[in-house]
Amino acid sequence: MTRAGGTSRSATPPAPGRSGRARIFLALAVRNVRRNARRSLLTAAAMILGLAVLMWTRAIADGAHESWVTGAVRIGTGHVAVEAPGFARSGRLTDRLSAAQLDTAEAALRAPGIAPLVRAVAPRLTVSALASSAAAAVPVRVEGVDPAAEAAFSALPASTVGGSFLAPGDRLAAYVGAALARRLALGVGSRLVLTAQSAGGEITGQMVRVVGTFQSGLPEIDEGLVYVPIATARTWLGTPGAATALAVLLHSSRAADRVARAVRHDLPPGMAVLTWPQADPALASAVRLDDWSGYAFLAILFLIVALAILNAVLMSVLNRRREFGVLQALGLTSRNTSWVVFTEGLVLSAASGVLGIAIGLSVTWLLWRHGIDFSAFMQGDISFAGALVSPIIVPEFHVQQVLLCLGATLVIGVLASLYPARQAGRIDVAEAMKFDR
Amino acid sequence: MNDNVVVRTRDLWKIYPQEPEPVQAVRGVTLEIARGEFVAMAGPSGSGKTTLLNLLGGLTRPTRGTVEVAGNELTALSNRALAALRLESIGFVFQAYNLLPVLSALENAEFPLLLRGFPPEERRRRVLEIFGEIGIEGLEARLPGKLSGGQQQRVAVARAVVGEPALVLADEPTANLDSAASAALLEMMEHLNRERGATFVFATHDPRVTERAHRLIRLVDGAIESDVRQGPQRPPPAAA
Repeated sequence: MTRAGGTSRSATPPAPGRSGRARIFLALAVRNVRRNARRSLLTAAAMILGLAVLMWTRAIADGAHESWVTGAVRIGTGHVAVEAPGFARSGRLTDRLSAAQLDTAEAALRAPGIAPLVRAVAPRLTVSALASSAAAAVPVRVEGVDPAAEAAFSALPASTVGGSFLAPGDRLAAYVGAALARRLALGVGSRLVLTAQSAGGEITGQMVRVVGTFQSGLPEIDEGLVYVPIATARTWLGTPGAATALAVLLHSSRAADRVARAVRHDLPPGMAVLTWPQADPALASAVRLDDWSGYAFLAILFLIVALAILNAVLMSVLNRRREFGVLQALGLTSRNTSWVVFTEGLVLSAASGVLGIAIGLSVTWLLWRHGIDFSAFMQGDISFAGALVSPIIVPEFHVQQVLLCLGATLVIGVLASLYPARQAGRIDVAEAMKFDR
Repeated sequence: MNDNVVVRTRDLWKIYPQEPEPVQAVRGVTLEIARGEFVAMAGPSGSGKTTLLNLLGGLTRPTRGTVEVAGNELTALSNRALAALRLESIGFVFQAYNLLPVLSALENAEFPLLLRGFPPEERRRRVLEIFGEIGIEGLEARLPGKLSGGQQQRVAVARAVVGEPALVLADEPTANLDSAASAALLEMMEHLNRERGATFVFATHDPRVTERAHRLIRLVDGAIESDVRQGPQRPPPAAA
């Protein structure tokens, strides 16, 4: 028979290190969470709901933003644009890419790491011009485009309201906005004259015939854009083989930075690579603003969730003063006791966090993967920051959303557990024992 | 210091600041308790029994005076060192059993060994040995809520002695038990005292405990009124 009193120390193995005690605290925390299943479930419900809402709102917001951006870049300069330096500021033909530069840029976009991200590439020769008909003369933007490439790139070929889009081989053809056609009293087959400053600095005119009209829903486009075949534009403006931009449409706007970096790296000096936020800062600002207003709403939501969890954990601590007294009487330090409670809060938060993310992802995927139709709430076309707002929003799923949710879980868990943990560590053990009587 | 002395206090005071007058819960207590003693501290409510027990266990710091337990001057220890001393050298038995509700009987009893880093087999061996001695074998897997009061208190005693501490402090251990359970518990603690040499100090007003104690210290108004050796005395074990 072993004897007590003084023999214990020689028989004591090395005390468990921090990781050993952490395992003990984790086991205690898990059991305590399970022990009060109803309280834990009710507390977790707030977190689960909050995170599910976070997942839904982020997926829908990201889907809406992607829709805005895609809509804008398909009419504009793409997710990425390769240009001559200075063209974005000057808009002049003197800042243009040569045929050789276009070939170099297209080769860079065919690189193995980049090509799978690219959906379409379209050369554009853009110039400010005056469009004249027998009825009126209106300042317009003329885009010389490759009809085949543009059909795969732009949203406008699908927005035809009269006639048809440009066809490969067309020469003196024009595809004009419906509002512009009305203003110039043009119909399909009508002639108009485009006048602009050529690359040589001379004012030069080009007669074209309307082959089709489009309606994008964006007034500034419908009233002021004319598409002509790029071959016609090159001849008219004296810029053989040249383009003012090579517009690149990607499968996802999120790849814009990566593609721009890679292309920039492969191009010689004298060529600029712009991403859509650089080319369209107003749209980028609108997306940022919408993002942050969403985050502000979610921050308030999560503050409420954190307070609910804080309340539940704190109540639990106050109800278990005697238990924490026992732990300290058995040899835990006050810091150890705090860790027990802190771990409990984290376990509860983590479990509900994972569940909330899973529910949020599943519900969004199951119910809305094909898109949510808001057309019942929209009367006519709505544009925002130069982009047409699509009535159907397809939620987008990204790893970043899950990371954001996990981060939110961690922050809420830490915030909601710190104060109760501190309270648990500060109890007076003798008083806690007296509490029972 | 005599190696057989487990507890030594010198002019120990505990004063709680309170309006209109401070409460002197313990007043100038000086005593020594040798290894292997079975001591009861008795007195009416408010006589300072529990406060003195808390002082001996390092759960409360004295206002003045000194407390030594197993050669350690408690007032000189940091909170962390005090916690380590409680873990290694002091076992507690409380009136309300105070088992951790989420742990089984075996897990409760082995908890001090777990904190001290004993391997699982050694923990289990020690606990099962004690469970066998105190008659609760077969209850290892039960949660506290599935045990009777007497069984819970036995598990609490097993938890208190499993680490072979220098001192076991028991605060009203029989207060919540019926006569039969009280008698069985006292028998079991006497057995552990006799066979394991565990030093027991009780705070109690239960005459069944005071009658069986080998030494009875009576407290009145926080001071020792009498200190009488009354039961079978065992020769103290040889120093380790």
